[in-house]
Amino acid sequence: MDTLKIFNSNVVIQRFFYSGNFVNQLKLTALSFSSTCPKKRSISASTAPVGTGGRHFHTAASNHRNTSCFSHMAAPTSDGHKEDVKDDRISRITSAIRVIPDFPKPGILFQDITTLLLDPVAFKDTIDLFVERYKDKDISVVAGVEARGFIFGPPIALAIGAKFVPMRKPNKLPGAVISQEYSLEYGTDKIEMHVGAVQEGERALVIDDLIATGGTLCAAISLLERVGVKVVECACVIELPDLKGRDRLGDKPLFVL
Amino acid sequence: MSAGENGGSGGCINGIKSALRVIPNFPKPGIMFQDITTLLLDPKAFKDTIDLFVERYKDKDISVIVGIEARGFIFGPPIALAIGAKFVPLRKPKKLPGEVISEKYILEYGSDCLEMHVGAVESGDRALVVDDLVATGGTLCAAMNLLERAGAEVVECACVIEVPDLKGRERLRSHGKPLYVLVESQFEPNSQ
Repeated sequence: MDTLKIFNSNVVIQRFFYSGNFVNQLKLTALSFSSTCPKKRSISASTAPVGTGGRHFHTAASNHRNTSCFSHMAAPTSDGHKEDVKDDRISRITSAIRVIPDFPKPGILFQDITTLLLDPVAFKDTIDLFVERYKDKDISVVAGVEARGFIFGPPIALAIGAKFVPMRKPNKLPGAVISQEYSLEYGTDKIEMHVGAVQEGERALVIDDLIATGGTLCAAISLLERVGVKVVECACVIELPDLKGRDRLGDKPLFVL
Repeated sequence: MSAGENGGSGGCINGIKSALRVIPNFPKPGIMFQDITTLLLDPKAFKDTIDLFVERYKDKDISVIVGIEARGFIFGPPIALAIGAKFVPLRKPKKLPGEVISEKYILEYGSDCLEMHVGAVESGDRALVVDDLVATGGTLCAAMNLLERAGAEVVECACVIEVPDLKGRERLRSHGKPLYVLVESQFEPNSQ
């Protein structure tokens, strides 16, 4: 099955191929992403201004704002070679991710990052791309959402010298915790963080492998903000734009590879 | 062997040990829970932890590191990245999409199951199993069985903490595999 998505301007053509149950190839050309772009108003009833990207059939007049599931590193550089290197890393990363159809339920295309972890170069590139973005942003805390956030968060934290704080399902963390409930498609769930793990005034990054509806990330942001921490950005390897997670984050910036 | 026996890294080890905390009566009364999250809040101690493992394994030709959900996911990937090995997550049932192989293992009450992706590990891979803590050794043995069924050679199991009374080391020894830990558990809750 082929899905062709066309974006205006001269930026992106994305094609999804399936071959059997296994490997999904995504080809993309260079994209750009910047958190300074003008915000578009959301189609939904939300009054919060919406960040860029993640949407199809985008009609922004802005010249370099069109993003899709995968967006490139921030500031465009005049060094063409540097951009090529980054493009190569991104394409290697995207081709290392596989899609499993009908998991966990029929109709869902599951984005499986475990194949990325089997490619040491691609995995390292993934971490490097995040580290390059955050190393000079004075981040003191990296918060990772259980369980796949535990795979990406700690290497980033180690590289930038930040603390790593795990956000877990209920009753996993021992000792005193604070909880945040969030809604699922059916029902609610909860995540917890240790009391005292973070202090007021700290600057935090929230990491997960993937953003879908944004519910988990929003809950994680709430937990941090409730104790006075500034959430600088959320970072994920993958975004599922159709599920509008970026909108749900509102004015919190989101960076995805 | 445990790293505590190594004189040179003694300073590091003390820093790591003092960063751990013990929570009494979690998850059940009578259990002294060894909490590594406080270690993760100390960037230097966390880095030292990873560095000690990397030092030990970087020249051992390890091609795959297997981490046990979920705290093994915190320590495994940084080691894998540093030594250039693949990282393979071992998970509770139904978390991994696609084809998996499963291994059941016995708990104090009842049993549990660990799964690994088919094809993640190949015949001839040299593997390291990483978890935060070894208690009875049941989970580590299940992990080793999965690896061996896939044709890999388990070089060693590595944990931050060992709870000696629960005899995990003996259990691994009877499986024929060595265990490397950084610290042995403390029984008094830390005052910090």
